[in-house]
Amino acid sequence: MISLPLSFKVVFSTPMYILTAAAGAIPFWILFNVFDQLIFFEPIWIFYLPEDAIIGFILTTIVSILLGILASMNIYAIGHSRLKISRKSLFSGSSLSIISGVCSSCSSVGFLLISTFGSIGVITTNLLTIYQIPIRIISVAILIFALYYIHKRIVQSCIMDLRKDYM
Amino acid sequence: MNNGNILQGQNRMRAKLLSTIVVMTGLIFGILSFSPNILSLNHSASAMAQTDNSIGSSPFSLSNLIEQGSPYLGNLTAPITIIDFSDFQCHLCARHVKNAEPIINETYIQTGKIALVFKHLPNRGFDSMGAHLAAQCANEQGKFWQFYKVLYEKQKGIDSGWVNKVNLKMFASQISELEVKQFNTCFEAQRHKEFIDSDIRLANSQGFFDTPSFIIVNSIDGSNLEIIRGAQPFPAFQSVIEKKLDELKN
Repeated sequence: MISLPLSFKVVFSTPMYILTAAAGAIPFWILFNVFDQLIFFEPIWIFYLPEDAIIGFILTTIVSILLGILASMNIYAIGHSRLKISRKSLFSGSSLSIISGVCSSCSSVGFLLISTFGSIGVITTNLLTIYQIPIRIISVAILIFALYYIHKRIVQSCIMDLRKDYM
Repeated sequence: MNNGNILQGQNRMRAKLLSTIVVMTGLIFGILSFSPNILSLNHSASAMAQTDNSIGSSPFSLSNLIEQGSPYLGNLTAPITIIDFSDFQCHLCARHVKNAEPIINETYIQTGKIALVFKHLPNRGFDSMGAHLAAQCANEQGKFWQFYKVLYEKQKGIDSGWVNKVNLKMFASQISELEVKQFNTCFEAQRHKEFIDSDIRLANSQGFFDTPSFIIVNSIDGSNLEIIRGAQPFPAFQSVIEKKLDELKN
């Protein structure tokens, strides 16, 4: 039976990919928390987590970690797989994860929408604010799906590599 | 596969990894540069320039603000004033009221070191204006801060109906010693519409479109302006206030 940790073991046995995952996750984590007003750079550098932001913070942290892992696994798949990585795979991996990740923070950039789009911006902001948590849960779900997809690709290519070696 | 090919493949891989890291870092910092906190640096600088040129007739001196009819808390002789631009429907404003404001109140307002002035910036939804009109009507009877507290305690989703006319009147009726008939007349007539519009114009002239936003000034002439954007925690306010208090001492 193929298990998810197998692809993890394969990819993250190389420190370079752990570094890539961290390089992907940390900037997104910072970005999301800036949009959520949990990290401030002015007048002082500060991070704080009020009670009302805990659920959102947990979800954006999960999204950031998943984004990092996905980015790293995608790069591994492109570099190592003997299977030709299709555009579909790339879409399901990096692109979807970035879109869903950015979406998870857009509820807190409402003022930009309001100032740019007026009334339509107000309506959009309201919807994004009201459905902030569900949007983030959907983001996590999309990322997990993308992770499963890329995992399958990596494991499949490993099996093909093994078969080729035995032939 | 020969060794040369393997090496070539590895080099290509490394190049890909490196370029991905560079692109991602660039992307993140690019987006960060458009974030509200970073933007505040530019606004802060332009706002300062505007205010420094108009010392003496500054719209931000405590006496001017009170004369205009803005609700305030604290001692009139307080050397520093915080001007709070907020929207009653904004959840980040509620976060500020729940977290940082009580500590600011206890540490600085109650001790006479700062005064807090409220400015209306209703921009979070279509029902926001009604809430601010009602709050300013409560201010007519000296009940602004009680009404403010009720609104932030009862806050629900933007434009979900929690600040419709019926609810606003009900909230007003819950405030002790508030003359409901007088409140309703003021509210129905939208008596303070022009006042709130002028607050919005003032906010926009300072580059404020998001709430909460704060201006911290010397009370006497509205000078030495500093801006804090967002629902920042108490230490952020403390750093600015303490710096200003030190400057005033020297």
